[in-house]
Amino acid sequence: MQVYWLDILPILILAAGGLLVFCAGAFLPRRPAWLLFTLALATALGAGLVAALKTPANPSFLGMLNLAAYARFFGVLFMVITSLTLLLAYRYSQARGFAGDEFFALILYAALGMVLVAAATHWLIFFLGLELLSISLYVLIAIRRDTAAAQEAGVKYFIMGAVASAFLAFGIALLYAATGTLDIQASLSSWPADAPLPVIMLALALILVGLGFKISMVPFHLWTPDVYEGAPAPVTAFLSTGSKVALFAVLVRLALNLGEPAWDLAWPALWVLAALTMAAGNLTAFHQTRIKRLLAYSSVGQVGYLLMALVAVKQGSLPALLFYLAVYALMDLGAFGMLGALSETREDLDELVDFQGLGYSRPWRSAILAVCLLSLAGLPPTAGFLGKLLLFWAVIKAKFIILAVIGILTAIISIYYYFKVLVALYLRPASRELQIPRLDFGIGLAGATILIAIVWLGVNPSSLLAVITNISAILPR
Amino acid sequence: MMNPHILLVVIVFLPLVGSFVALATGKNKRLCRWTALTFSCIELALISFVFFLDPQPQSGPTGIWLLAVDYPWLEVLGARFGLGLDGLSLMLLLLTAFLTVISILISWEVIQDKVGSFHFFLLFLEGCLVGLFLATDVLLFYLFWEIQLIPMFFLIGIWGHSNRVYASVKFVLFTFGGSLFMLIALLALYVIHGHQTGFYTFSLYELAQTTLSPTVEAWLYAAFLLAFAIKIPLVPVHTWLPDAHTEAPTAGSVDLAGLLLKTGFYAFFRFAFPLFPGAAQASTPLLLALGLIGMFYAAWIALAQTDIKRLVAYSSIAHMGLMVIGLGILNVMALSGSLLQLINHGISTSALFVMVGMLDERLGSRDFTQMGGLWKKIPIFSAFFLFFAMSSLGLPGLNNFVGEILILIGAFQARPVIAILAFIGVILGVIYILRLVQDSLFGEAHAEHNFEDLKPREIFILVIMALPVLYIGLHPGPILKLFDSSIIHMLQQVPLLAQNF
Repeated sequence: MQVYWLDILPILILAAGGLLVFCAGAFLPRRPAWLLFTLALATALGAGLVAALKTPANPSFLGMLNLAAYARFFGVLFMVITSLTLLLAYRYSQARGFAGDEFFALILYAALGMVLVAAATHWLIFFLGLELLSISLYVLIAIRRDTAAAQEAGVKYFIMGAVASAFLAFGIALLYAATGTLDIQASLSSWPADAPLPVIMLALALILVGLGFKISMVPFHLWTPDVYEGAPAPVTAFLSTGSKVALFAVLVRLALNLGEPAWDLAWPALWVLAALTMAAGNLTAFHQTRIKRLLAYSSVGQVGYLLMALVAVKQGSLPALLFYLAVYALMDLGAFGMLGALSETREDLDELVDFQGLGYSRPWRSAILAVCLLSLAGLPPTAGFLGKLLLFWAVIKAKFIILAVIGILTAIISIYYYFKVLVALYLRPASRELQIPRLDFGIGLAGATILIAIVWLGVNPSSLLAVITNISAILPR
Repeated sequence: MMNPHILLVVIVFLPLVGSFVALATGKNKRLCRWTALTFSCIELALISFVFFLDPQPQSGPTGIWLLAVDYPWLEVLGARFGLGLDGLSLMLLLLTAFLTVISILISWEVIQDKVGSFHFFLLFLEGCLVGLFLATDVLLFYLFWEIQLIPMFFLIGIWGHSNRVYASVKFVLFTFGGSLFMLIALLALYVIHGHQTGFYTFSLYELAQTTLSPTVEAWLYAAFLLAFAIKIPLVPVHTWLPDAHTEAPTAGSVDLAGLLLKTGFYAFFRFAFPLFPGAAQASTPLLLALGLIGMFYAAWIALAQTDIKRLVAYSSIAHMGLMVIGLGILNVMALSGSLLQLINHGISTSALFVMVGMLDERLGSRDFTQMGGLWKKIPIFSAFFLFFAMSSLGLPGLNNFVGEILILIGAFQARPVIAILAFIGVILGVIYILRLVQDSLFGEAHAEHNFEDLKPREIFILVIMALPVLYIGLHPGPILKLFDSSIIHMLQQVPLLAQNF
């Protein structure tokens, strides 16, 4: 059977790029940050362009990966996330002394893990991709070695991640034992006649627990605020957007492929988890005065909305889900990224009082942060509004009215805490003089891109929606 | 001959463009103010031009309008950029443009910092309101309904008075909360229509033809009712209004009272009633009750106030209560009265807020029990204040009288008891306005006042506000004729309601 190696060109580019960055770091003792950054950015952009432009000759790669439109969409999305993270992190990491080869290369390898996870059709390659993503993230979170908070966050994420991987591995093993195959689609739908359903349900439950840890689903979300708060802001941005989007890509694939008897037992559990996640995330964010924690809990709430759409995925909510994943990635990247851009070198901008008056002393970065917050809250004319509209439409069409009402109630609660930050930024005088570094080109470019994208998608998302509708027509198998 | 329908698009986008231009010229205060004023005057001129064009009703894909446009926007969702003008929206557009010019003029010397942003938000708000009054696509309407929150939040929160942060956050939470329930109802209606006809659309005209079961219709109507009741406001979801009005800067209060409250009532007329006629009809007793409660409760509280702005804010609630009574009666006369009252209340209450602003600038206080004897000191101001106070309480010959008498007579024809109670409510309004006038203008001065009378700019503003008051009071015919076509238009869309006539 002929293997079309060029089909996995984006993956090869990412792997080679990562190695190139490591080599540059090894052979150039001074480890010039500009060179490492440029190599990393070029890799990410190159991989993204190839994923966008090249149609694979044979979508099924060695039975391990499915490189059709679904994986390509996520590939491009991950490369956008990675490029924006690199732009946001360059000056940030330089000023704080961790702009070495390991930082840039590990971002690339985490992106590679995400791509593998989204494209995987075989449990082993999925697990490999997830581990690659996780290990890169463990180091990235703790990369700032002069602050105890980052170290603590790294250890917490590592322990949590190890536990999650253990659950996942056991679940996959049980599934293999029950169904006799490690192909994702086959193990979820085409079961032999004597496949024991209770074992399969247990396996799926364990897999859900493992994945649930990673996407901060309630009740496995307790690590989220501590890790998001401790990690450096650009890394938090990357973690919050990239890993969630990647794992949702997998969850969608699992849900769509899940056979009837199992899905009838699974979706009520997902219903309850979605409701709990929306409620818990938004209610706990209500009381936060440390904004990194507030944004962490808010991202738990956003996961709740995505889970709500996941419950309806067999009834046509896929376009809404894909659109909201893309929009969520942009919004959260913008929020955490601008938070990092407004931070002092000593530690990240966290306390609410420190935000006061920033709307006037640092107008551009605050404006981008404000637009991202308004988008997270779901106000027009931002993309967040259209995303929520599509989500609620899909859920109501699938007749999950109660879930939609719960979603609306939690959205109302969320307005309060997003506006809390806006009030601090624009309606209160500055509390103390902050030593914030000047706006640099990378942050400006990333911020401008996110701002334009959020407003443009909020008013005229037709092009993106057309792409997504085409992808959804061919369900990921 | 240019296609006049294009004017609608220009009217919506001109203030939005103007807002960004004003923001860009923010550094130079004089240039910024004049730019904003120019844009708002051009907008007023355009809308007046449409008024004098006197377009005739034409049928189209979105219903029967005087002028209409319909462009593709989000094809995948079935949402179109549809705008439609009828008599009601024309008058509300005139009011919007007029009050925006007024807001810019009265803020000329009061607003000294962040001038660029201030005019940005004022003009942006105007653009949103114009879009709201013209939208024929329910999603487009919802978009403008939500966006109007943002400029108002900043206007109150940045340039307001001492308790402004609390007032602006409360305003956002109340309004946004109600709107989100409306979003669910809107989406449910959209989905039901899609199931019935096979194609999904947000067009008002199409959605109004969906057949709904009574229970579903009731729930959806209730969600819309909640959202609009918060905006109007109806008791008991009115508590955001006194704080928002009191803490807002004068231009903010003018826009809030003059325009934002009208959006709630307009939305009832344009959306809630045609979309859910059965439930709307069944809800008229509730509307009547809430309107009456609003009038009495607001009057009771207003009698206890010492802050002028807060008193005028409560008088707004009372006026809107009377308008809702007119809506609940649902005959041609009462509806004409309510629609006319929209315009009247917009002008009179805004004028009162303008005068309160001028008084605040001179006195530094809004406590009218500490005033008194103003007539001797600043006679021109006092004359105008008396004039607008009389117009607000419904003196015959001035604008509010026409609206109120139409509502009361229309109510008497259908439900006499309600009419009598409403009449008592109107009398209560007279009481607190007269008390306000007596305590502030007449009697002995409580404190030494040493300030100047009105400047020419201020006299100009008050004169151009007084003229419509007189005109509508003495010659309301042409405007009422404009409303006739809107009422008949609504009845044509709502066969059930037509049975009442």
